[in-house]
Amino acid sequence: MASTAIPTQAAPHATAPYAEKSGVWSWLTTVDHKRIGLLYLYTALVFFIIGGLEAELLRIQLQGPNRHFVSAELYNQLFTMHGTTMIFLAVMPLSAAFFNFLIPLQIGARDVAFPRLNAFSYWVYLFGGIFITLPILFQVAPNGGWFGYVPLTTKAYSPGVNIDFWVIGLLVLGVSSLAAAFNFITTIINLRTPGMTLMRMPMFTWMSFVVMFMLILAFPVITIALVFLLFDRFFGTNFYTITAGADPLLWQHLFWIFGHPEVYILILPAFGLVSEVLPTYSGKPLFGYPVMVYSGILIGVLGFGVWAHHMFAVGLGPIADSVFALSTLLIGIPTGVKIFNWLATMAQGSIRYTTSMMFGIGLVALFIIGGISGIMHASPPADLQQTDTYFIVAHFHYVLFGGSIMGIFAGIYNYFPKITGRLMNEPLGRWHFWTNFVGMNLTFFPMHFSGMLGMPRRIYTYDAGQGWDSYNLISSIGAYILVVATLIFVYNFFMSRKRGAIAGPNPWNAGTLEWSIPSPPPEYNFAVLPYVTSRYPLWEGGEADAESARINSQEGRSAEELGIVLPYSTIKPLLVALGLIVMFSGLMITHALIFIGAAILVGSLYSWLLSPLEPEHH
Amino acid sequence: MKGNFRLRRIASFGMLAVLALALAACEQHPNTTFSPHSDYGLAIDFLWDRLLLLATIVFVLVESALIYIVFRYRKREGDQRPPQTHGNVVIEIFWTLIPAFILLFIAVPTVRTIFKTQAKAVAGALQIEVIGHQWWWEFRYPEYGIITANEIYIPTGRTVNFKLTSNDVIHSFWAPQLGGKRDLITNRTNYIWLTPDSTMQPAEWNGFCTEYCGTSHGKMRFRVFTVKPDQFASWVAKERGPAVFGATAIPTPAPAAGAATPAMIVPVSEGSAEPGYTFPANQPEFDYAKPHTPVPAGMTFTRGLTGNAHRGQQVYSSAACIGCHAIAGNPASMANIGPNLTHFGSRATIGAGSFPNTPAYLALWIKNARVMKPGVIMPTLGMNEFDPVLKTQVTKAQGGLDDQQIADIVAYLSALK
Repeated sequence: MASTAIPTQAAPHATAPYAEKSGVWSWLTTVDHKRIGLLYLYTALVFFIIGGLEAELLRIQLQGPNRHFVSAELYNQLFTMHGTTMIFLAVMPLSAAFFNFLIPLQIGARDVAFPRLNAFSYWVYLFGGIFITLPILFQVAPNGGWFGYVPLTTKAYSPGVNIDFWVIGLLVLGVSSLAAAFNFITTIINLRTPGMTLMRMPMFTWMSFVVMFMLILAFPVITIALVFLLFDRFFGTNFYTITAGADPLLWQHLFWIFGHPEVYILILPAFGLVSEVLPTYSGKPLFGYPVMVYSGILIGVLGFGVWAHHMFAVGLGPIADSVFALSTLLIGIPTGVKIFNWLATMAQGSIRYTTSMMFGIGLVALFIIGGISGIMHASPPADLQQTDTYFIVAHFHYVLFGGSIMGIFAGIYNYFPKITGRLMNEPLGRWHFWTNFVGMNLTFFPMHFSGMLGMPRRIYTYDAGQGWDSYNLISSIGAYILVVATLIFVYNFFMSRKRGAIAGPNPWNAGTLEWSIPSPPPEYNFAVLPYVTSRYPLWEGGEADAESARINSQEGRSAEELGIVLPYSTIKPLLVALGLIVMFSGLMITHALIFIGAAILVGSLYSWLLSPLEPEHH
Repeated sequence: MKGNFRLRRIASFGMLAVLALALAACEQHPNTTFSPHSDYGLAIDFLWDRLLLLATIVFVLVESALIYIVFRYRKREGDQRPPQTHGNVVIEIFWTLIPAFILLFIAVPTVRTIFKTQAKAVAGALQIEVIGHQWWWEFRYPEYGIITANEIYIPTGRTVNFKLTSNDVIHSFWAPQLGGKRDLITNRTNYIWLTPDSTMQPAEWNGFCTEYCGTSHGKMRFRVFTVKPDQFASWVAKERGPAVFGATAIPTPAPAAGAATPAMIVPVSEGSAEPGYTFPANQPEFDYAKPHTPVPAGMTFTRGLTGNAHRGQQVYSSAACIGCHAIAGNPASMANIGPNLTHFGSRATIGAGSFPNTPAYLALWIKNARVMKPGVIMPTLGMNEFDPVLKTQVTKAQGGLDDQQIADIVAYLSALK
């Protein structure tokens, strides 16, 4: 990489717009999609580390038989919070960081459609995340599993406050996801730059587009399920009350109609990122673009028709089992096509092994394993020997760690220069990749064996002589390696942020619109809105593409000088989010808080709606 | 040069992983799903073998293609701009059809096996009702009027139809060597049936709860004893009646493993009746089915006490025990909140597979069950013991039992053969 030859120097003033606006207040009031993206990124990385530490404690406990490093009660809280944290507070928001930062840049927009709503989404996420995470410090964290099956989570069997935190936390987090989804759908539909037809959109934006629809269809379902549970727990209704004759399968159906699409909500953004990374470092356009779009949509649609494969053990009967087995097998086809198309993208290319590319290839390699084991338990009879064992734990970690997390790291290494203006350190990046890759496989591959050899999930300890000891020891060693990997990453991230080599607008010679503007992008993104004539404007675009890219990449003037109108900064979205969380926590603390929270919420929302978004146009 | 180094590094990591897995494979695997011992297990295993074969082929082919592409097309000095291919409809249709074709070979046997294994059980199958409790198993044989806990005896060669219900939250019934699992769902009834291989020698299998059910989900285990039909008949004959109280002397127990070494408790021996077949008594026990859990730190019991079963019966019948447990033949003890203790003395474990059923462990269990197994409903009974749930010390007024009284109860329960 020639980049190392560039002497480290301060970024020129014009390309460092963030330096102008610093201080805590500017972050609390920002409505700039790029800064909100950064807030998401930092917050989600903190939660990623918290979730990782929780997993680490689990692995210390399971390192050998009959260990009591943590109590049964704490273990159950830790595995519940590990799942909840990684899904809702780490992986989804990491994707959201990319939605925020990238989507407007990729479609040639100056911001999202609703900048203040965007800020609101972030603050709700932050407050909800803190609300659901803090109790672990006092050992009163949620302990019903991330899937929260009733009747275990009803008041009769979980009388403590643990589940209250979980129900309220998830309800609040759902508000954040829904607001973001509507925002980005509107953005993608309305704010595309001239010439940016749907079939010219970068694949990351496409996959995000699919995910947004999945969010608005899936989250209302979990919201209903959670509201039922909330009403049962706080107001004595009987949706899940066993003694009143409730059917526990109501919760399971509602939860998994949300829960399975949620899996694709977690993986599709990573697929999108990899579909940007592989072409960039192979020097070739994505192979079979239309098929990649259709298969993404198909995965999204089919994702809503497979939920009962989480329920093969509940006894739905042979017909239901068969139908859901077939629909689940069917979803393997578009997923397989995606993998083949990625392979074809790389084939005949000229592959540069940057850290980002290595993570991208890692995703392909590991997702194949997760996909194959997924097919194995798509078959209900086989699944009945696998479900709720460590085989499943192995499977979904290959999908979510091998898939989502590897994809997100590929994205971070690829877009770090665009976000910060500096390159990440490549040798450290390679160390990160290899320790991560080895640690990941060492942790999760043996779980295929311990599961098929009879080890159930979610047990806080196991007895000696069951044939699981060595596999668990290997898994725990792998988990320690993952700690080292993460430390390398964190060090690299912060060192490169300060001292990394200056990147320039397009350090990787990529082809999409976000690389046509300075790094980091100015507040207004595009000095002139580009006219797009192809999928990779910087590679194969016409005169017009080249001209707007030339202007945009060299622009150094401020928004005022260019006469670009930008929205006002405002604290109101934060206040509305604060009111929301205060209102909900009043349910648990004292009812007076409900009224105080509602007052803050209504008051600041009213004032938000009455204040103009931006200065009047002249 | 650099490439070679990286290759060697990958190879050495790979070798390390293979070595570690090979080491692990040397262990005994008493709960494996790969060597089923029932028709149900075999039907699943047949499917699994096919899945594994297809999966291995796909895995090897696709990963090889990936590795080939990644090495073959790495950037070299003087590379021209690669061909800007956008796609190829024929190839893409081709590799859409391939997975569809492979999946057919999975779908057809899958649906067949679903309908085969979920058909109604044959008439004349042995009915066993399985009732899930936090965190133990109640087993009932309606045909014979037997109620027991955490241990099932089933005859080889006869189909057993399990009727699954739950008393509280959702549990799941799984004995990996005998077949797949099925949930026990509150307000619902599920069935699962299997026929243990008729040619196998009497054996003992581990079973687990596989649906997270709260604090001690990890300690909700059970045992399945597959025995010859005549042994089963003998066991049934014994279990049907009330316990033959004090039939045999209990041999002096070895001190418990772990922190505490409780006293030897020898119940009185009297009378003589023919006990029926019980697995641990009449057969060498399988080590994997014997709990190895150490006693929690801080549990102690007075040394050198001798329990008296008759005194024990009196203590038991006037203590908190009768509020939850039933013992056929003891009119004071008819509650059904906790496990039925009628033939408790012939069971292999206590606390749903948590500890071996020896006087030493039993004494500690009665003294402070809540320390022995987290979250259990059974109260702390030992005098001056600290109750971890109520956060108080148990007093005489609350019905606390001293060590001698506990030793007597142990003698009584152990005598219930």
